[in-house]
Amino acid sequence: MSRDEKTCKALILDCLLEFEEGAMPEAEREELQRHFEMCPPCMNFLTTYRATGKTLKMLKPREIPPALAETVMVFVRSRRAKGEE
Amino acid sequence: MVDEASDIDLVRRIKAGEDGAFEEMVRRYHARVYSLAYGVLRNAEDAEEATQDAFWTLHRKIGTFDESKKFFSWFYRVALNAAYSRARRRPHLPTVAIEDRMPKFSGDGHFAADVPDWSVAVEDEASARELAARAGEFIAELPPPYRDVIWMYDVEEMPSSEVAETLHISIPAFKSRLHRARLYVRQRLSEVSSARPRAEAAG
Repeated sequence: MSRDEKTCKALILDCLLEFEEGAMPEAEREELQRHFEMCPPCMNFLTTYRATGKTLKMLKPREIPPALAETVMVFVRSRRAKGEE
Repeated sequence: MVDEASDIDLVRRIKAGEDGAFEEMVRRYHARVYSLAYGVLRNAEDAEEATQDAFWTLHRKIGTFDESKKFFSWFYRVALNAAYSRARRRPHLPTVAIEDRMPKFSGDGHFAADVPDWSVAVEDEASARELAARAGEFIAELPPPYRDVIWMYDVEEMPSSEVAETLHISIPAFKSRLHRARLYVRQRLSEVSSARPRAEAAG
């Protein structure tokens, strides 16, 4: 008898991260790939999980205040000058 | 991303009181420290002040840094603490019970409800930016252990090993927190996205 197929629950909760991060034996990856292709809810979940990741990459502050390094140096020098070691 | 040998060399030069070495450290790390602080504080002015605090702590405490340890993980920890300390002075934001937003399954392991595909929303620049702004708010609602992991890995794109070292957690703990944080943010984004079906069904 063949092993039981993974349930949607096991796939989403226990396997999705490894599936996405690439740390998974090829046979297992193929099994999950088949599940995704046969199962619209899981496929939608995967697609939106990926869309979430894509969205998060847009969040990194793109603008560092231009004079920040200088501001930090001024701050540290003034604290030192006050003897706050 | 991190050049440990060159960091340690710079730390030694600062400890030896070499002129300009501290400034070089500021130039090397200020953007990363600011960005980390921004993840905690979500506000440019606060993140800037936390960056100053972090470098002031670095200046005072570098003598106690143990050179057998990784510099970045020690300093990122200093930076996170500077940001946490500023965050504590602000009105307390309630954090959420992430359990309530985990996917729900029936007894036989199938999804208990429909799973709409809203991914088309990120293909359009304007709606993707809007969703990104919401995602930032959802990350801020997370309990800090989850918030920090998802911010450092998915937003800052730090390698998993650096995140785990900085937060002093194991790789399995890192993965578990990351996945749960992503599941939470995905669910929240689903709730705010109009569940527009794709214009044309595949095939």
